[in-house]
Amino acid sequence: MDVTHRRFNRVDLLEVTGRVDAATAAKLKQHVDALFDEGRYRIVFDLVGLEYISSPGLRVLIEARKRAREWKITDLEGGDIRIANLPPKIKEVFDLTGFTGLFEIFSDTVEAVGSF
Amino acid sequence: MDSITLVADLDALAKISAFITEAAELSGLDERATWQVQLAVDEAATNVIQHAYDLDEPGELMLAWEYAESRFTVILRDNGRQFDPEAVPTPDISSPLEERQVGGLGIYLITRLMDEVRFDFHPQHGNVLTMVKYTTLDPREDLVILPIHGRVDAITAPQLTAAVHEQITTGARFVLLDLADVTFLSSSGLRALLLIRKELMTLGGELRLAELQTQVHEVFVLTGFTQVFAIHNTVEEARGAFGQGRA
Repeated sequence: MDVTHRRFNRVDLLEVTGRVDAATAAKLKQHVDALFDEGRYRIVFDLVGLEYISSPGLRVLIEARKRAREWKITDLEGGDIRIANLPPKIKEVFDLTGFTGLFEIFSDTVEAVGSF
Repeated sequence: MDSITLVADLDALAKISAFITEAAELSGLDERATWQVQLAVDEAATNVIQHAYDLDEPGELMLAWEYAESRFTVILRDNGRQFDPEAVPTPDISSPLEERQVGGLGIYLITRLMDEVRFDFHPQHGNVLTMVKYTTLDPREDLVILPIHGRVDAITAPQLTAAVHEQITTGARFVLLDLADVTFLSSSGLRALLLIRKELMTLGGELRLAELQTQVHEVFVLTGFTQVFAIHNTVEEARGAFGQGRA
């Protein structure tokens, strides 16, 4: 698994490629926690190059979204984790586990970043 | 049975994935089934690594597979603490984010991805997880086999078309015409088949023909339509060919 980070004014974009399993999920969590520690709670995961995800990776995503949404500027504005470019196999895992309904999923990164 | 034994640590996951992927491909599982098996085995192995043993004192994990009678069987064994599947609550995958549990998805995914899953515990063998993936085609609800009888000509072709349409309106998209009892096919019959084929393709379906008598097959040969229609020797062969291309 590799994570490439791009910083925008208000949003951070994490492009996750390769395999996120029990062996690599901790590394993904470190990237997310590092952003949280800086007070950056608006994150887009670009999953276009994600080949594989198992439950430890799903856990990182859901924990991240729970935490991000606790951060609020106003009642209407605050932190969130949003997802762009869900490959078909990953979409199937999302569908099986009910994750499709838990996240806002966008068809490209521009749209996802712009949604904040 | 082919098997490997590994130290149950996180480094084993990549080896397990490579081992089981090769096994699934050797057994003729399609790409999607291979991926499903890969994910199920990865989840099961992750459970062993994280829960059966203490992380700083990993024991052994044995993985074995066999393929027989359209069943791809995977057995995962460990000598760690006894696993009780009843103790793992089924996650409510429809609950909203705020109430959603962050864990518990591994076992759930295994049961969704595999056709049979059984957890056993033996005093000598430890935890034994048996998972089976079927490789026979799922019975498709949108597949219909229609036996056709007698002559298919200008007079009877509309009946054939109507019979197929009736199936299409009830959801059929993959149509297999069993022509074993068809004694004669005219150009009007051919034309009806061409239109049916085109209509099914437009709907994302397929038309396949099977068991043609010699004189009926000759009509397809003479008109060059053997290149257009998917023609099979047997109904079984045709049934297995749906979704496999060239229809």
